[in-house]
Amino acid sequence: MTKQTDAYVDGREDTRQSVVDEGENPSPFSYRDLARVDEALTMSSKETGLRFTLYIGDLGRDTRTTAEDLHQRSGGDVGNGVLVAISPGQRVVEIVTGTSAARRLPDRACALAVLSMTNRLGSGDLVGAIVHGFRQLSDSAGHPARRGH
Amino acid sequence: MPVIETVLIYGVIPLAVFVILAVLTLLPGRGKDRTTYRPGQPWNREAVWYEPHPDVPGVPGHGDDHGGAHAVAGGHTGARALTAGVGATAAALALGEHPHTHEVDAPRRSAAGGARGTW
Repeated sequence: MTKQTDAYVDGREDTRQSVVDEGENPSPFSYRDLARVDEALTMSSKETGLRFTLYIGDLGRDTRTTAEDLHQRSGGDVGNGVLVAISPGQRVVEIVTGTSAARRLPDRACALAVLSMTNRLGSGDLVGAIVHGFRQLSDSAGHPARRGH
Repeated sequence: MPVIETVLIYGVIPLAVFVILAVLTLLPGRGKDRTTYRPGQPWNREAVWYEPHPDVPGVPGHGDDHGGAHAVAGGHTGARALTAGVGATAAALALGEHPHTHEVDAPRRSAAGGARGTW
C-alpha cells in the first residue's frame, strides 16, 4: 500500500488505472453481456406483447414502494408494463406487474421467476439471472395471439 | 525404455499440458470483458433503466398519444453511448429521468402485483 502511494507521489508510475478500471463503458455490463440483456428484454417483450423494463440500481429504504413508483413512471402503457428491478447492493429483486399484465403474469409466476433469479444472483451471475428471469416471465405470460379468449 | 524417453513421457508432456492450461486461464485481458458482480460487495454503479427497443416490430411501444416523438432524448443518448459499437439496442433511462413527463403525476397506482426476493 505504502509502496504504491510512494510510486504515485513520485510520479514514476500512475497507479490510478489499476484502482479504477471503468473504461468508457458506463454500463454495469460488458458489451457482450449488454447484448444478451438487450436481446432478452426485447425478445420477451416482442413475444408476450407485454412491455418489460429492467432497472438495476439502488431501491432505497422501502424497495417495494420505490419499485412501484418506478413502474408508475416507466412510460407507455403502464398497465401492460412489467418492471424487473434489481438492487445488487441491497440484494433485492422486485418484479412489479401492471394491472393488465398481472392477469397474464400472476404473482405465483413472478415468484417462480424471482426464485430462479435469486438462485443465480446468489452465485454472482447477474446477467444469467436477468436473462433467465425474463425467459421464465415470458414463458409464463405466453403469446398473446395463442391465448384463447 | 531409455531415460530420455521416460523423461519426455512423464516429465515434458505433463508439463506441456500444465503450461497450456495455465496460459489459457491466465491469458491477459481474458477476464476484463465480464460483468463484475460479487454478492455482498457494495454496488457503486450508476442506476440504469433499460427498456425494450421500440423499433423492433412486435414490441409494444409507447402510448399512441406520444407518437414517434420520444420525450426520452436524454435517455436515448445514454443508450447510444452504452451500446455504441455492438449493435445492442437497449435504451437506458437515467434515474430520475421521466420518459413521459405528463404521466408522472398520474394519481392512479399502476402496480397490480408482482413478487419480491432476496439472496
